[in-house]
Amino acid sequence: MTSTLTNPLRVGLRQERVISPQCLVIFGASGDLTHRKLVPALFELFRQRRLPSEFVILGCARRPWSDDDFRGKMAEALADTIRDHHRDWEQFAGNLYYEPVDLQQSEQLLRLADRLDGLDRLRATRGNRTFYLSVSPDFYGSGCRALADAGLLSDPKRSRVVIEKPFGRDYGSAEKLNRIVRACAQENQVFRIDHYLGKETVQNILVLRFANTIFEPIWNRNFISSVQITAAETVGVEERAGYYESSGALRDMVQNHLTQMLALTTMEAPGRFDPEAIRNEKAKVLQAARLANNEEPWKCCVRGQYSAGGSPSDPFKAYRDEPGVNPNSTTETYVAMKLFIDNWRWQGVPFYLRTGKRLPKRLSEVVLTFREAPVQLFDAAGGSPTANQLILRIQPDEGAGFVFDVKAPGSGMRSRPVDMHFSYDESFGEPSDEGYVRLLADAMLGDPTLYTRADEVEAAWRLYTPLLELIEDSPWRLPVQPYEAGTWGPGAADSLLASDGLMWRRP
Amino acid sequence: MSPQLTLQAPLELSPDEVPNYLERLWGSELDASTGASTFTLVVWEPSWLQQQLIRTGHIDGPINGLLNKELFAAARSVTAECGLPLCTAPMAPELALALGEQPGHHKAEDLRGQFVDQAISAHRPRRLITLAPTLREDHPLETLVAAYCPLPEESSGSPPACGDVVVLRGGKGAIEQGLALLGPLVGEELPCWVWWNGSLDESPDLLEALALPSRRVVLDSSIGDPRRCLDVLVEMIATGRAVNDLNWLRQRGWTESLAMVFDPPGRRDALNHVVQLDIDVEGTHPVQGLLLAAWIADRLGWHLLNSYHIPADGLDVGIGAEFQRSDGESVQVRLMSVPVGIPNSHPGALVGLRLICCPQGKKPLCVILCSESGGCMRLEAGGVATMELAEEVVSVSGDSEEMEMARLLSGGHDSTNPLLAAAAPLAAKLLPL
Repeated sequence: MTSTLTNPLRVGLRQERVISPQCLVIFGASGDLTHRKLVPALFELFRQRRLPSEFVILGCARRPWSDDDFRGKMAEALADTIRDHHRDWEQFAGNLYYEPVDLQQSEQLLRLADRLDGLDRLRATRGNRTFYLSVSPDFYGSGCRALADAGLLSDPKRSRVVIEKPFGRDYGSAEKLNRIVRACAQENQVFRIDHYLGKETVQNILVLRFANTIFEPIWNRNFISSVQITAAETVGVEERAGYYESSGALRDMVQNHLTQMLALTTMEAPGRFDPEAIRNEKAKVLQAARLANNEEPWKCCVRGQYSAGGSPSDPFKAYRDEPGVNPNSTTETYVAMKLFIDNWRWQGVPFYLRTGKRLPKRLSEVVLTFREAPVQLFDAAGGSPTANQLILRIQPDEGAGFVFDVKAPGSGMRSRPVDMHFSYDESFGEPSDEGYVRLLADAMLGDPTLYTRADEVEAAWRLYTPLLELIEDSPWRLPVQPYEAGTWGPGAADSLLASDGLMWRRP
Repeated sequence: MSPQLTLQAPLELSPDEVPNYLERLWGSELDASTGASTFTLVVWEPSWLQQQLIRTGHIDGPINGLLNKELFAAARSVTAECGLPLCTAPMAPELALALGEQPGHHKAEDLRGQFVDQAISAHRPRRLITLAPTLREDHPLETLVAAYCPLPEESSGSPPACGDVVVLRGGKGAIEQGLALLGPLVGEELPCWVWWNGSLDESPDLLEALALPSRRVVLDSSIGDPRRCLDVLVEMIATGRAVNDLNWLRQRGWTESLAMVFDPPGRRDALNHVVQLDIDVEGTHPVQGLLLAAWIADRLGWHLLNSYHIPADGLDVGIGAEFQRSDGESVQVRLMSVPVGIPNSHPGALVGLRLICCPQGKKPLCVILCSESGGCMRLEAGGVATMELAEEVVSVSGDSEEMEMARLLSGGHDSTNPLLAAAAPLAAKLLPL
């Protein structure tokens, strides 16, 4: 019997673009991201036959590993993944090489250039290179400079550089980093990654809006009364305390992931499906966005920090008790805020963003609430009429739902809400690729559509500058409010919406 | 779409001057660093239909090798006067052959190879070499050379990536004589694509000479004798050459639609219980239908037992086959030719598909896919109303050949699609001797 766990007719149907011969150079190859995300994504691309035979992955870090050491470390880290694909791994591992490099040492970069030339000759990679900076954000600028000084970014057609998030800590530092990067490479060589954009469901926001004619006519202030964007995590800070203490939820989630969801939800239709056209529209809408109260930002934002919670059988530590966290930390693990977008489409529509750790559910979603019917002809079975809602579920249970009223069965004419929903699982039944698979492939193809451009990043930081300055200069104005781990954040976040007569959607 | 402009008017040179001229061109007039680091594209561009329609005065020139609505309309209008059945597709070689019997001496400028369709130029070919055979067999070899750069509005701020075009024009003999030029012009540094944009029946030696193992071949298995088309495909796959088939690509709406029917996990078990597959194709060219049947059989693990012609009134109207499922049960496959009033551009386009599954203890499932340009009444008959019915309309792709080619170029496929590699040999076995 043919296995019907996967759809046998679906296998191999996707007509994906194939990457040109090239060398992918990963700086920070001994780090967590390389074996947790990057190499697994590359292995997946290899298994999907999307990597050319002339392909090399050159790991670079300060550790004095050899090629074989690197192959061994990666095999160890990916043991679960490669167990059933041993032969594929054997072939794939032949593409892995390693070069000890300290990005701060210029002579080592020159040695790297020689090694790359050698690999070009050995593996016919034709001088086509993608440099992935999976290093500490402090080294993004100097890393780009070092690559440029070694002449490794001089050919704009054959070299590109991928920069991980966070891109800067605020508007000023992002602008400065952009200046450095622009001095080293052309904008079309620079790929600023936000792995949320690699998610199918985030990309689906574009398809849902612009491949259907029914949504765009009502996708505006005339029909939509408010929008909520939520990214909730059940996990705590885990092993990331070192990074998280200096970033917090605002920098870690809002400035990038939530802002990207906001941009895709609110941008105008691009003239064509073209990287620049799409990024122009995203940048434009972010430039039109602002905090609901720029003068008194503490009135439109709530910060929170999880305290101990959970059940006796499954207790959660307070954030301040987590390993590596300052016991007096004022880093926010939760943030909620209200924004407006000053343009013709969205003027006056409030956008509520929230994200947090140790919330009751892991989920990301965008909820568009429509205006109520102008005249209530029918009694609502639930007591009050329910506004229509379109829910775009990013994760988990990827899909979309639409809440609308129908006649409640019975002799009267009472209305009650029902949920019509589309599920990726039920409709397609195939797991989608991890975001890094898509994003790595796009970078190597030179397609920046799902990467953020310099002006987008700056617009996103500029949007939150009043909040960041407030937290820096007058933190008492926006204190972190404790919330019990496993609950939906501090009560003040509910009050933020209650003052507008609204409630957070309880998913 | 607007064609790409060349930097200079094409220059006619003697064949042996071409390599030196190009070397000089890139050294003086064009900065070598602006040369696109992409690929070389060699196109066999006979355009017999267009040449004959122009010669016989049915359409005006110039000869440019592009397929457009005017060309297809003219081709459809002359089918009857050529004594061919109305369901003859414009791209069927017999139409160009029949037109060749008609009188006419109209002439037109021959611009083949000098236009680069925008879909292709967007991929910035480094060198585009066009082999343009003329109707006059004794036409001597002419060699034209020009350079091109993207129009400013198309470069999207990225640095220019220029290329050049070379046209070898003449009678077939002259073109074969010009083949010696190709080696130095193609070079080894960049990938080379060979697009056989004509019938697979003609010039087999030339095809063999062009389709070297290191090159990526694009052909069209809908143009030429079905046995020859499948044999060429199978032979190229067997010898490890990277081959792409535009006829295979044209059926992707059907494969996608059928896969979509079985995407919901609840439907998938039915795929283990298929008992019958019916495919209808336009006219008498069965290759696209056979490739689709072979793809389904391969994906579902069926084993071919036998295949045979289905006769009616002394003519073969279809192909029948029996497969064995992996559980030993039998699957009956029938591929039928159906007449159509307005045929698609290429022979043997799919019209309809019916897949009947009989899962144990459940209502039978009947999947019917139907082309939006035709009807499915034949497939909807026969008691399917009592079954669970899943019907989909498959949209007809209006994409040009150049657009399909551009997709391949953007994909950069340097090996044969594994689905095609599995389906083509099975399709060849399905075609009865």
